[in-house]
Amino acid sequence: MEQTKRPNIIRKIFSIRGMGQVLSVTSALILMCIVFSILNPNFFSGKNISNLLRQVVPILIIGIGQSYVLITGNIDLSIGSVVGMSCMISATLMTRGVNPWVAAGITIICCIGMGLVSGLLVSKAKLPPFIATLGTMIVARGIAQIANNNYNTDAIGDAAKGFRSFFYYGSTLGLFNTVWIGIVIFLIFNFILSRTRTGRHIYAIGSNVEASKLSGVNVIATTTKVYVISAICAGIVGLITTATGGLGTMDAGNGYELNAVAASVIGGVSTLGGQGILLGTVVGAFIWGVLNNGLQFAGAPVAIRNIVIGVVVVVSVLIDIIARTGKTSKKNA
Amino acid sequence: MLNKNKYDILNSLWIKTKRSKICPPKSKGSHLFSFCKDGKLYVGQNAKRNFGRIGHMQEYIVEFEHLTKSFPGVKALDDVSFNLKSGEVLALLGENGAGKSTLVKILSGVYTRDSGTLKVFDREMEDLSPKSAQELGIAIIHQELNMCAHLTVAENIFLAREELHMRVLNNRKMNADAKAILDELHINIPPDMIVGNLAVSQQQMVEIAKALSTKAKILIMDEPTSALTSKEINDLFILIRQLKNQGCGIIYISHRLEELEHIVDRVTILRDGKFVTSMNFADTSLPEIISNMVGREIKEKFPRTPSKRGRKILEVKGLNAGRLVRDINFDLYEGEIIGFAGLMGAGRTELTRAIFGANPKESGEIILDGKTLHIRNPEDSIRAGIVCAPEDRKKEGVCVKLSIRENIGLPNLDSLCNVFGVVNRKKEVKMAQKVIEDLKIKMPTMEVNVGSLSGGNQQKVVVGKWMARDSRVVIFDEPTRGIDVAAKVEIYNIMNELKNRGIGVIFVSSEMPEVLGISDRILVMCDGKITGELMIEEATQDKIMEYATHFDKKIG
Repeated sequence: MEQTKRPNIIRKIFSIRGMGQVLSVTSALILMCIVFSILNPNFFSGKNISNLLRQVVPILIIGIGQSYVLITGNIDLSIGSVVGMSCMISATLMTRGVNPWVAAGITIICCIGMGLVSGLLVSKAKLPPFIATLGTMIVARGIAQIANNNYNTDAIGDAAKGFRSFFYYGSTLGLFNTVWIGIVIFLIFNFILSRTRTGRHIYAIGSNVEASKLSGVNVIATTTKVYVISAICAGIVGLITTATGGLGTMDAGNGYELNAVAASVIGGVSTLGGQGILLGTVVGAFIWGVLNNGLQFAGAPVAIRNIVIGVVVVVSVLIDIIARTGKTSKKNA
Repeated sequence: MLNKNKYDILNSLWIKTKRSKICPPKSKGSHLFSFCKDGKLYVGQNAKRNFGRIGHMQEYIVEFEHLTKSFPGVKALDDVSFNLKSGEVLALLGENGAGKSTLVKILSGVYTRDSGTLKVFDREMEDLSPKSAQELGIAIIHQELNMCAHLTVAENIFLAREELHMRVLNNRKMNADAKAILDELHINIPPDMIVGNLAVSQQQMVEIAKALSTKAKILIMDEPTSALTSKEINDLFILIRQLKNQGCGIIYISHRLEELEHIVDRVTILRDGKFVTSMNFADTSLPEIISNMVGREIKEKFPRTPSKRGRKILEVKGLNAGRLVRDINFDLYEGEIIGFAGLMGAGRTELTRAIFGANPKESGEIILDGKTLHIRNPEDSIRAGIVCAPEDRKKEGVCVKLSIRENIGLPNLDSLCNVFGVVNRKKEVKMAQKVIEDLKIKMPTMEVNVGSLSGGNQQKVVVGKWMARDSRVVIFDEPTRGIDVAAKVEIYNIMNELKNRGIGVIFVSSEMPEVLGISDRILVMCDGKITGELMIEEATQDKIMEYATHFDKKIG
């Protein structure tokens, strides 16, 4: 009998936890790319790919932030508003003459503060994450609005040219800077999640918070950390938004939180916690990006794009829940 | 109970040894100034050299004095004294609600005490946390599994104690160390297996490995054998004896009193949150232990009423529901209790779930009082008159966050609501009141959450909520698991009463004495099939075991 031996590298890839889902989603992504390139021959042009990559990065970064929170079994609804808050604070400061890099630093500190509030409300005050981050979502959006007295800001001016080039317009070695930022953020946060003690505790809390507590895991500290990470990611995306538009808009990031959940869930991160890898979030973000880009090119109006993306979000979460409860209802005789 | 520390003991030996009076050390450093070993008195330098061997001295390594702990509405521990020696296995016994779990949870840092002193290794302790208790050398194996199902065996074992290599997780070392521990305990599970994919008994063994990997000197085992097979129980007992010899002190909590004689040295009994007595196991007997636990004599362990077989109530024909329910045929008559015996994994729970409609059927008929039933879900089954008290009390039997009244009312809402669906509160209260009285459920009020009741009382709520209906068949799946002796008897009495009222009772249990004590007829299952039927007069443990291990021959 002939036996085909799987080459070792394929077996190694399959054995990484969470890869199964990632690989199946990747094949869906490839399929989508093929379909869209048939509909539009310009799809695979260098220009389109470049633009696509740059469009994906913001969703990828907040997807990463949201994934951290989801893996602990919580959710962060405020992540979109923090993007808006970050955009407005940074732009307002820059239009007041503050050095753009100093403004960026202050902005990130404000976002960390917001993340601490969300994190402590959930971990220490034991508020349900849905309620706690609903509250911080509204507060963050409010801060975005009063930052410039309820107006969008003026253009941030030439002093910010370097800043804008770094975050959006410039390119290095053929790729947009934004893409490099996305790559670096992915590498850093993937490392933390998969190779450090904090990352292990994040999975543990999502899997069984009681068992983690009884084993001595500092649940309060770890839960707060993931919300701070989520807020930092939102802050960075806010800075990218400021750099893109050259000004601050009060409704920046509107609705991003659900796109972040979509990217995570499509990529295999479970809303029930304990499961999923950031590579999956990357693929999920790309699926979102390709859908958006492809539909845009096909000339679909914004409304259709929103409906399609909404349907994809709901279907992914549905599949996620069916798969999870299917597994957990296996009875041990 | 001795309240002397070693200095008092040594000072009392002063006369015999003719040495100068021994004082507690004034200098910093070792606690020891002198101690006794093998009848000899070591002082000063010799004492310091032999410091490490203190474990063999049969010293008290845990001492609680005047321990008190209250929760809203209930005083869990009331002025309790408790101690544990090194190198001994101490059985901590008491009815459900006696305070055993509370005591060990205070020791392991999960709860903080209201008042009282705690000394561990002869040092006074402030409040402990799970982490500080672990660092002291206290490890607890919980009654309910506390594993992270998405993580591997090694990751669970080293949770919160991860080995790092330059700030990064050292998975290779942790896997190797985990493998070493598992091998040492003869546990045949690969360390990189996801815990969620293991069987319950295997998960329990991993919990034990985890507790032991912390090199604990004080080990608390809370019902460790309830989920284990007999081979694993044997392995566990060998392990416990080894640990005893190494000087560990083990607190062993179990309701399976017959197991105690294999390993236990001393017995401490609590009742209603108070300390009752502490005796050497060899100096006492099971009946004495039970009567201390309960405060009264339990004359009959298994109350049996004669069976008067009436008409056929239930007929199951050709039932198939998956791998563990294959071609099941049996009849159930009025006035009898049939017991289903068998090993874990034989398919008994799956059978009850298939009859009750919780699991889908592939084929087969269920005929109740001569009428064929079409059961697609539990609702159909309940309406037809077949009800079930499931195996997993907390997850499937009651809603732990709802009150006793609401739980009792839940399956009876059709009779408690008016035409608009509004619940008649007065009726609901009356119904709950009747059930509570009939079954003697112990609770502060009917408004408390069922989750706060003891196991035995929770089980009474599980059964009680069916009592208000006119059921024809009541299925009991492992009804006495994790319940104390007195509550067990009350459950048996409930089953007998149902039997005498002409209601059919199906009783599934893994405890053979129980099955032999209560059933009128025993059906034995093995690997999905009924392999034997015994009338109670001819049934013995050996015959049941023979049928229970009657697997299909695999022809090679």
